[in-house]
Amino acid sequence: MKTWQVSVQLDNVKKTFGETVALSIDSLHINEGEILGLVGNNGAGKTTMFRVLLDLLKPDYGECRIGDFVTSRCEDWKSYTGSYIDNGFLIDYLTPEEYFSFIAKVNRLSKDELDDRLRQFGDLMNGEVMGQNKLIRNLSAGNKQKVGIISAMLHNPGLIILDEPFNFLDPSSQLATKYILEDYNKKTGATIVVSSHNLSHTIDICSRVTLLEHGVIIKDYSKDYENLNTELSEYFERGLHHETQP
Amino acid sequence: MTSKEVWSLFRLINKNKNLAAKRHPMFEKNRAMKVFTYIFIAFWACYLIFFGFLFANVIEDGKTEPYDVINGGLIIFLMIDFVTRFGMQETPAQEIRPYKLLPIPEDFLHNVFLLRIGLCGYNFFWFFFFVPFGFVSVAMLPCYTLLNFLGYMLGIWLMFVLNAYWYLFWRTLINHHTAYWLIPIAVYAAMVFLGMMEGEWLMDFSRNLMRGCINGNVLSYLAILALIAICFFVNRCFQKRFVYYEIARVEKILKVKSSEMSFLNRFGEVGEYLKLELKSIRRNAVVRKQFITGIICTVMLCSLFAFTDAYDNQPFMRSFVCVYCFSALGVITLTSVMGAEGNYIDGLMSRKESVLSLLKAKYYFNCMMMILPILFCIMPLAEGKMTIYEALGCFFFSMGVIFPFLFQLAVYNDTTVHLNEKMTRGGKSTKAQIIVSLVALFFPMGLMYILMIVLDAMMAGIIMAAIGLVGTIAHPLWLKNIYKRFMNRRYENMAGFRATR
Repeated sequence: MKTWQVSVQLDNVKKTFGETVALSIDSLHINEGEILGLVGNNGAGKTTMFRVLLDLLKPDYGECRIGDFVTSRCEDWKSYTGSYIDNGFLIDYLTPEEYFSFIAKVNRLSKDELDDRLRQFGDLMNGEVMGQNKLIRNLSAGNKQKVGIISAMLHNPGLIILDEPFNFLDPSSQLATKYILEDYNKKTGATIVVSSHNLSHTIDICSRVTLLEHGVIIKDYSKDYENLNTELSEYFERGLHHETQP
Repeated sequence: MTSKEVWSLFRLINKNKNLAAKRHPMFEKNRAMKVFTYIFIAFWACYLIFFGFLFANVIEDGKTEPYDVINGGLIIFLMIDFVTRFGMQETPAQEIRPYKLLPIPEDFLHNVFLLRIGLCGYNFFWFFFFVPFGFVSVAMLPCYTLLNFLGYMLGIWLMFVLNAYWYLFWRTLINHHTAYWLIPIAVYAAMVFLGMMEGEWLMDFSRNLMRGCINGNVLSYLAILALIAICFFVNRCFQKRFVYYEIARVEKILKVKSSEMSFLNRFGEVGEYLKLELKSIRRNAVVRKQFITGIICTVMLCSLFAFTDAYDNQPFMRSFVCVYCFSALGVITLTSVMGAEGNYIDGLMSRKESVLSLLKAKYYFNCMMMILPILFCIMPLAEGKMTIYEALGCFFFSMGVIFPFLFQLAVYNDTTVHLNEKMTRGGKSTKAQIIVSLVALFFPMGLMYILMIVLDAMMAGIIMAAIGLVGTIAHPLWLKNIYKRFMNRRYENMAGFRATR
């Protein structure tokens, strides 16, 4: 399997919606081969950051780089980036088989390569995705999520961006997703960025955890940081008490 | 509940429903659409007013009064009204869902929603016809007064209220199973058939009923009111039963076999998008409806041209039909180009140049569909109704000028087409779409007509073919240009697509 070295850089990126500052990042560098977990409450700016990074949203100013390319200026970075943010990525009138075949063909994967790749996601699919003779729009939310995650990883990308990958998944599928991401990172050196509300999964798989609140990076933790779990739990609990106080 | 509570609840629900109409997603995103809707209503209102005056003055044979003629054919107005309601009126069973768990008696809710249907403004729409008609043909007659005119209007209004409940009954059943469509069609067909075969009993009945209203005969009003009351209570029982069906309603999930369409593999990435295009037509109701409408229009126009002599010796109409035969499908399907893709635009944009391949696939698909008018042209060509130059002129002009023009909308369309939306959600044409489709329909026709007058049919065809050929050969260039402009507007378009999903 091909090995990768893709870094990500956000410089002075700001995005506002009316009066609300959705994202304000002075600088964020994600190293090659790193698994970065983005955590934060709803509205913290995680999805906005992904959209800006993937050139799906125009920042007010600043720029994002994936590898050597500024994402808003060219499309070359797309060939080695796999992403899934929400249903807007899925062509829902295809069956999962047709969708995977479509993704494989536009990424120039042969039928054998596709079959080989799909076999690696057997645990995640758990016999519920393929062979159902259902269109994607008729799948459950969890199975749609699986199709999205698999399609993002199908072409062996050097950078994977997943927004809330554990959402809608049953516990077994959450664990399968965790193992697949860790394994893929180890084998290929791919850079992975995930956002999640699930602190335990995030801490388990990520080599670095970034805490985002109101569009701003509050803290950037390395996995080696001893009190990571405690400190994050305390942070969110503090927020809870703060919000519930009269 | 006290009468005060009943009244305040009624007002509250009424307010909610009015807000729902005012804040319809169709209008929220698109102010132009709102303006065009009002223009559309005004157009029909003027049209009906015109016909109201016209009918009142034209129908005069000395024996029968105009109002008797129109009242005799009232069933036709009611039939048209019945059909048009499919685009306007929802059933209370659909509307009641959000209120079902609130502490409001269910009977009260059903009564409110049913009452709203009776009092809704649409029941007055036909007044645009009947007020001027009744004013001229009734109020102006020396034997009648303004009171007779008002009595007539009251009778007409009650008939349309009755029609609203009659429609509601069938709509509820049709929601349950589509086959119920056949019953109202059979009823109306039987009425028309019996009316024609068995003398004028239906016309006489309708004439006498409305004459009673004009003359202020209480029995006429009571007869209509009794029918309304029956319909109201039948509907009430029906709605109560069907609200559970609506709540528990699960869309039937059709089993679909994955389709390879391997014959398109030879076209590489564009072939993959051609597969998408074909699957989109097969599996998405709205896209399929657009495509079928386009095909029906093309076949109808081609058949008219090929198998009738309606357009022989009429150069203007000949250029009209000739151009439309080739461009109708494109105009109908391409005005909302990229709208369907708005549902998964993020996925497309996260892959390199996928939108360019998609546009190419759409262009090739539309060009391939030109085979249909070509086939239909064989007959008029053989009969000499059309020259080969005209046929080639329209063929190339469509591919090289009309299609590129319509494809410009790919840059500006930013409203997602809901792939399987219900019929009550109506069209969402933007200002740009309306202007572009009008130009696409009228400019080629005008150009061809002028060329035919200034030169001759042969030269007109040759010139149009030459212009079209240039555009056709240059398609990689203009498609690339459209793609570049689409990319320049991508943030705006993506935001629009997301907001209208």
